[in-house]
Formats: sequence, structure tokens, C-alpha cells
Amino acid sequence: MMAHFSYVRPRSLKEAIGHLAENGARVHAGGTDLLGCLRDQVFDVRKVVSISGLSAMRGVEQVAGGGLRIGALTTIAEISEHPLIRKHYTALAQGASEVASPQLRNQGTLGGNLCQKPRCWYYRGEFHCMRKGGDVCYAAGGENQFHCIFGSGGRCFIVHPSDTAPALSALDAQVEITGPGGLRTMPVENFHVHPEDDVLRETWLERGEIVTAVRLPAPQASLKSTYRKIRARRAWDFALAGAALALELDGDRVVDGRVVLSGAAPVPWRSLLVEDTIRGKTLDDRTIDAAADAVVKGARPLAKNKYKLPLFRGMIQEELRRIHQSAGADG
Amino acid sequence: MYYTEGLPVPETPSPGETPGPWERTDVVGKPRPRVDAYERVSGTAVYPSDIVLPRMLYGAILRCPHPHAQVKKVDTTAAEAPPRVRAVIGPGDPKTDLPWSFRDVKTTLFPKTCRFEGEPVAAVAAETLYQAWDAAGAVRVDYKVLPHVSDERRALEKDAPKVHENGNKLKTDTYSRGDVEKGFFEADVVLEQHYRTEAEVHTPLELHGCVANWDGDVLTIWESTQGVYAVQSRVAEVLGLPLSKVRVIGHYMGGGFGSKLQTSRYSIVAALLAKKTGRPVKSFLPREATFLAMGNRPPSNMTLKAGVKKDGTLTALSFTCLGTGGAYPAGGTSLVDWQIRDLYLCPHVRTECTDVYINAGPARPFRAPGHPQCSWALEQMLDALAEAIGMDPVALRLKNVPDYSQGREGNPPYTTTGLKQCFKEGARRFGWEKARRKTAGQEKKGHLRRGVGMAGSVWFVGGGGPPSTVILKLFSDGSANLNMGASDIGTGTKTVMAMVAAEELGLRPEMIRIEHADTGTTQYATPSGGSKTVPTEAPTVRDAAVQVKRRLLQMAAEEMDLPVEDLRYTGDDIVSRSRPDRRIRIVDISGLKRQGVVVGVGHRGPNPEKKTVNPFCAQFCEVEVNTRTGELRILRFLSTNESGRVMNRLTFDSQVIGGVTMGIGLAATEMRILDANRTGKMVNRNWHDYKLPTSLDVPADIVGVPIEMPDAEANISGAKGLGEPVTIPTAAAVANAVYDAVGIRITESPINPLKLSSLLEQQKKEG
Repeated sequence: MMAHFSYVRPRSLKEAIGHLAENGARVHAGGTDLLGCLRDQVFDVRKVVSISGLSAMRGVEQVAGGGLRIGALTTIAEISEHPLIRKHYTALAQGASEVASPQLRNQGTLGGNLCQKPRCWYYRGEFHCMRKGGDVCYAAGGENQFHCIFGSGGRCFIVHPSDTAPALSALDAQVEITGPGGLRTMPVENFHVHPEDDVLRETWLERGEIVTAVRLPAPQASLKSTYRKIRARRAWDFALAGAALALELDGDRVVDGRVVLSGAAPVPWRSLLVEDTIRGKTLDDRTIDAAADAVVKGARPLAKNKYKLPLFRGMIQEELRRIHQSAGADG
Repeated sequence: MYYTEGLPVPETPSPGETPGPWERTDVVGKPRPRVDAYERVSGTAVYPSDIVLPRMLYGAILRCPHPHAQVKKVDTTAAEAPPRVRAVIGPGDPKTDLPWSFRDVKTTLFPKTCRFEGEPVAAVAAETLYQAWDAAGAVRVDYKVLPHVSDERRALEKDAPKVHENGNKLKTDTYSRGDVEKGFFEADVVLEQHYRTEAEVHTPLELHGCVANWDGDVLTIWESTQGVYAVQSRVAEVLGLPLSKVRVIGHYMGGGFGSKLQTSRYSIVAALLAKKTGRPVKSFLPREATFLAMGNRPPSNMTLKAGVKKDGTLTALSFTCLGTGGAYPAGGTSLVDWQIRDLYLCPHVRTECTDVYINAGPARPFRAPGHPQCSWALEQMLDALAEAIGMDPVALRLKNVPDYSQGREGNPPYTTTGLKQCFKEGARRFGWEKARRKTAGQEKKGHLRRGVGMAGSVWFVGGGGPPSTVILKLFSDGSANLNMGASDIGTGTKTVMAMVAAEELGLRPEMIRIEHADTGTTQYATPSGGSKTVPTEAPTVRDAAVQVKRRLLQMAAEEMDLPVEDLRYTGDDIVSRSRPDRRIRIVDISGLKRQGVVVGVGHRGPNPEKKTVNPFCAQFCEVEVNTRTGELRILRFLSTNESGRVMNRLTFDSQVIGGVTMGIGLAATEMRILDANRTGKMVNRNWHDYKLPTSLDVPADIVGVPIEMPDAEANISGAKGLGEPVTIPTAAAVANAVYDAVGIRITESPINPLKLSSLLEQQKKEG
């Protein structure tokens, strides 16, 4: 049922990278996604490289200048419970707490959550779809109720399944990547691959590279961040619609901010239109209604996911109203 | 020390006399943890999937990946090549490709034409599970993929691909009484509405499967089943063995919900592989295969037209249903119209149910087959009628409660009709009127809207009945062994039976050991389904206990030289009525000491003539709908059940919680999704994509309220079934509550943000 593969558990990052540079090597951290993919034969694997022994990659530390560095092996549960993250990076703590189920949050890691494979049932199932090297997207004319409304490029209609990535993107986090060529960083916002750029991959990691950490900028007192997720059942489910908002507020006026959607597109989807709509505005009914219209502007729903338009609209309204109310309460 | 102290024991009826109802009970009806709780919780209970035998092989079945295909060629060379593969069997070999049938439609174990995704194509046995799966995957099959039909609504279209040569229509059942046109004419309000419920899949925690082992010409099968005798008879029939040579054991089983009532091809395949290799073979299906091939609750497309007078009198019901049992005859519309016929007083009724074939897995009974679907339509319609005539939903139902079964020939009365009490007591305990006022008066401004809803139900059977034979053995130390063939499918049957025996004998329940569900050592029993196990087996156990008491009294009479009529069994001793100083302890009876055991054989007596025994239920719930996002929260549930005597208050509550949970699945989260447009394959065949409700989808506040009405006629335990009634009205009650909250009728399940967000938007647009 599973392919034959070898298993290594390196002692050092360098050793791990050496293994990962080999053809057919796959990284194993929490394993909550990898094992399912192997069982479903989503991709081939020759060598499983377990990095669970690299304890230096686990944990949250404050860095000079006031930001946080979160090791890639930090579990989702640890992130959702971490006092500093809860206090200064609320959207991330909320996003983490909305992931899957308690068991999976205890096992799954931040790095894994960013690098997880899409949940499209055609991709996971016995369908040789475009993302697996085939020439058909089965979702396009098929059962696409859980698929995207933005960013398919007309090729692949997955939604990116991560709840932490939209929050990190909204919080302007950087992802730290280590590989054979050393260390590099890039904004989380740019970390995921649009289908039109390459339909066969989800992240810009090159062979041998792994995510080693995520860096968050120093907290801003005026930044209010939230993550909201709507799903078909209340736990152990991916987003039908979700949004991470990180707004710099002056009273209930939005000075600036980022809005990143989940359940909307093959990558965490930054909604510049919503940002433009609310920037410099007071969160009154008119702004909120305009933001709700903006969130689905340009959306191209499929036959079975038109519901996502009212869903995203309603969700943005609810979230902005909540922020408006709590800003009022704070003031 | 084995006897309860100071508690009265029921009088022992004379030989030939049927015991009357228990006047009072000291064990039965009390909350009692399960007799096997420790074993189940600690993991020491050995389920069939835990069985490991020396030299055991693992079997795996290759299943057709297409919903409709011809198997042109099967090449097993590669499968046989890997080391440690011990047997491969497939189509065409008369020794292993045995005849199989779904009701009267004949096929084989490995059919040449596969009519649903997941039909067996070949099977292997190997040294390890993974080798078996790999080997099955290495079988090369040349398929000719045929056009498929995956949607029952298209099955009867002219150009629809044919599942069977004679077309896609299996049958149309009709029922009629009175004159519906007259009924609609007499009505003040007539409403008509189309409803649909999606197909649900059972997905019990323990997978479907078995271990098969031959000892000479005797075949033993450990199977996760709801009925060991059902498996025995089918296996014996297919393999041409005498019943005595097939032993089926199923002491524990991890859930079935109806999907393990029948015998599956995998049991035969395991037996054949075991025969071929001369070694035990364990064959449990992977989860994905159980989604495809181990049954489902069929989808139902229902139209209901109903007429009501202003005073709430129902005048006519006209109901049609299109359903499908999948690719073979499997009860696609089974019982779906029953409550239309029977639940509410109505003189003019017509139903028409059409069952069609599609290229999908055959249905199996699913906890109250047909009934929750029917409730979804009928109970939503009742609410719509109530609104139309300005009547409270509970009052409308109370207006139309029958005390006899209108759907049955001769209109037999129910032994008890607790429906009225279920509504009244349910409404009282739930605080219905106050809750209704509160939701009606809530501010329109807020985006979180509360709603309350309710629904009632009757279950088609639930009275149990013969046959059943139970043996109760009282040992010389006063402890007892209760021996019965019925399975405990997780409902607590064993515990209830120990309580019944304890009640009748005055023994402490811990002193009773249950031997059950083994065709080699226990008596014939029908499978545990239909909510009939307790009302079938409890009276039988009581009868066996009475037999033991009679035998002990006889022994004591001989020993004490007193007439048996003068003696009374009190629990720990037998006392003379005329001379209370003359008594003998049970364990001192020399006959018992000499024999070492006293055996009582109990039989299930007949059900009452010209009456019918049915359980009733009403459920009430409160929900909250987020009108911006369509998110639904179910806040509380209350279930009133007239299921006769409560046997164990703890397992009563467990059934209520489980039934409501399952009903919430139908209402809000579950649906089978087939890739109808292109491949016909099921896309959500796993526990992530097939959304069972989680603990966050189900309220913590679920209350079970028993309506106990003395029923001396049903059977000598007074019990009626509970397991299915508790899930029948749930989904309809949720739908009614959602309507109360937001004024939108959700006629198609499930009620989730996908549906609600669009409907709410539409409602806003329409103002």
C-alpha cells in the first residue's frame, strides 16, 4: 500500500539537508500530512528524512529588536498556547488554535503546516490530475464545492489548506529556509506558488531546502490582528472561508493593514482590494459594506462554490464589525 | 453473598403460567455501568479485529476502481511474484469464483461486470498485511470502462446508462387508503414541497472484516458482526457446508449501525483463501473500501403534499419518493413512507416509492432505515402546516395522534401509545412555549438568531419477537452463567441481560457471567438490529431465570418434603409459606450440589395478537444561526422516548446521546459525494472529507427523558426498542429550529454554511 522507502533520522541539520538533496527524499516532521499522502500514494517517496530529532528547530525565542523567531518544529499546539504569540500576534495564535483537532495540533508542526499538500480530493484520490503531472483538472467541472474562487490561473483549483500561513502573511512574517546553499529568507507572503507559475509545486523550496524557522517582526501596540475560520463542521476541518486581518488602528480608524484569505485561492490570498477599501477609513457601516463587496471582487466561482461569495462577504462584515466594536470598547 | 440483600424477588409463576409484569424492580431500570466496561475501556476486550492466530495470513481484496466496468483480463503474475504471497484468487475459477447474490439478482464473488466502485475483482493472501495490500495492488486488470449513472435522479432518463440489462428501475411500491383528492378538497390549507436527504455512510469505528480458520472440515470465523447466526447461514449456504461445520464468533464488535447485519463477500473470500493456503486468514477492509462497499443510507428525493383543516385535522397526505439502493436490490426506498402511513391520524393517504439502480455501492440498513428521511419531509411539512393555520407545532401534532396503527392491515391498536406523552412531557421539560416566545420576540438586529424546533416519530418495529432461546446456568455456589446467541453491538445488551437475570433471581448482577454471540456454544438468535434485541432477549432471559427458579423450588420441595406450591423463592433461600421457619439456602439444596448446575432454558413467547408493539419519540432542540455566515450551532437537545420499560438508565441515556449525534450528522454534516459528472467515483471516502459530526458539532446538553408506560402485553420484560427511535426525528427537529431562527426552510440536507450562506443572502436580497 505504501511505497518502499528508506528512513533516516539525522542528528544535524546539515546531515538532514544532505539527505533531502537526494532524489525522492521527503521531509518528515510531525507526519500528520506526510503519512496520509504516502498512504494515499499522492507522490512517490524513496527516502523519508525525519527531522524530529533536531530539537534546536523547536521553540519560540525573542530576538534582538523585539521580534520572535519560531522554530519550524514548534508544534501548532505550542504556538496556539504561547503567551507572547497570544498577546502580540493574536491572528497566529487564533489560526493555530483553529487547525484540525487537538491530537493533530499536538503532533503537527509550524513548518509542516506551511508546507502541507493541498486537500483537493482529486489530488488526494485516485485521479491523475494536473497537480500530479496529468493533463486534467478534475475539479474544474467536477465536485468543486471546496475549491477556490481566486487565483486558479484556470489550471488548478485547490485552496491552500493552511490556517497559520494567512496569519503569518498578514503579520508580515518571514520564512527562514536552509538548504545546501545556506540560509535564505523570504516573506511568507511570497512563499507559496501560484498554479500559473508552477502547477506541480506548492512552495518555492528548492531540492534539499527546508523551512527552519519563521520570524515575526517586533510587535506594534496599534496592531490588532485576528483570524476567523468558517468550516463545514466545527472541528477537524479546513476552511470554507477564512481571513487573517492585521490592522494598524487609530481608534477605529484603519491606518493601514493586511487582509489575507484562506479557503479562497491556491495560495494564502492577500486581498489588496479590501486593504485599499479600509485603509485610512473609519470602520463604519459604509466602509464595512464596501469591504465586504471588495473581498469577492474579481472572484471566479465554480459551479458548486458560488456560496463562497456571500460567505466571504458575511465573514468580512462580521470580522470588521467585531474589530470596530472592540476598538470602540478599548477607546 | 451472591444475592442481593433485603430486596424482594418476583414471585415465581407456576409451571405453564406466564410471568406477569414486574411490580417493582430493584436492578432493572437503575443506572448501571456496563458489565464489560473495564474490558472495553482498558483494551483487554478482544474484538474480531484484534484476533491473531498462529501462522495467520492476511487477506486483501482488489476492488474495481470504476463505477461500471467489464473485467476483460486479470493477470496475477506480478501479484504472485513478490515473496511471501501465499494465494491469489480471482474471477473465472469455479472453485473460488462462487455464486453470490443481492436478494434475487445473481452475480459472483468476482463478477465479470462490476457495477459499483469497490466490487471485488481478485483477492490475495500474504504473510503480512502490507504484503497482501501490495500484492493486491500488483494484480493487473484490463478493464473496459462502461458508462455509468451516479445520480438516481437521472437513472430513469432515456439515455441513462443501464446498470443492469433490464434497465434501471427496480420497482415502484404504492400504498393508498381513502381518497386523497377528497382529502385535499376538504382541507383548508394544502401545501406541497420537495425534500431531499443525502446518502450517508455508516463508518463504524471497527472496520468490516473477519478472521477465518479451518480445523479439518470445520470453519471458524471471528467476525465483526451484528449477528453471528446470519453469517453462519450465509457462509454455510455459499460454501455448501452444514450449519454445524460453520462456527461464527463475535463477542465484541465496534459498531455496525445496520451495516453489519448481513454477510459480505469478504467473509467467503477469507474462508476460501484460508482453505487454499491451509492457514488462518485475517481480512479486514481498509477504511476507504468500507465507504464504497459496506452500505449506506440511501439518498431520498421526496415530494409531500399535505392537507389540513383550520382546526389542525390532517385530511390528506400524498407522498412520492425516488431512491436508490445502489447497483443491486438493497432497499433503496425501504420503509421511507412508513411514517406517512402510520405516524399521524389521516384518513386519506397515498404513497409511491420508486427504487432505481445506480452505479454505486449497495445500501444497507442504516439505523432506522427510511425513517429519518421520512421525518425530514413529514415533520418539516407539519411545521409548515402549523404555521399556515396559525397553530403551535406541538398542538398540531397532538391533534393528530392515533392510538392504532393506520398503516397496518386491520388497524391493530398499539399496546401503548406514548406519542402524546412524548410531545407533552417533552414540551414541558424543554420549556417549549417559553422558548418559542423568546425566539419569536428576539431582536431582528443581531446576526446570531436563535430558533427552537421539534419533531415526533414512530418506529416501524421495535417490539422484538420470537425466536430466541437463552440458557441460564446456576452453579452450585449460586453464581450464574447466561448463555445467549445475540450480539451486543455496543448498546449494552449484555448488561441489560445480566440485570434482567439478576432481577428475577435476586442475584447481584456481578455474579452473572454472559456467554454470547458464538454459534458453536450459544443458541440461535436473530441479528441485533431493528431495535429489537432487548425486547426479544430480555423476556427470554427472564423466562430462563423463571425456569431456574422453578427447578430449584422443585428440588427444594423434594428435599424439604413440602408441596412445591407452599415454597417461595426469595433470592438466597427458599422458604415455606405456611411454616416460615422451614427454609433452605439455595446453595445448600443437595440437588444443586449433586448436579453442580441447574439449567433454565428460556424461550421468547409470542407477541400479542391483533396488537402492535412500537416505540415512539419526540425531540426538541434549540439552535443558533449566524445570519452573516450561515454557521449553525446546535445548543441543546431533549429526547422523550416511549420505549416501554427503561432497562438501564445509563444505556438509555447513551442511546439518546448517540442517536441525536447521528441525527445531527444527517442534519448538518454528512453526505456521500460521487464525482457524477466525470468518473462516478466517490471523492470523500475518508474520515476527513466525509464529515461525521465532531464533539463540537454536538451539544453537551442532550437530555433523555423516558416516558414509561406499563405495558403488560408487549412482552414479559415490558421493554421496547430504543436505539433507532432516538435518531429518527433529530434531523427534522434541527431543520424546524433553523426555520424558527431565520425563516428559511432547508429542504435538502445537510444544513451547512454552503447552503445557508447562499439562502440567507437570497433572503436578504428579497428583503
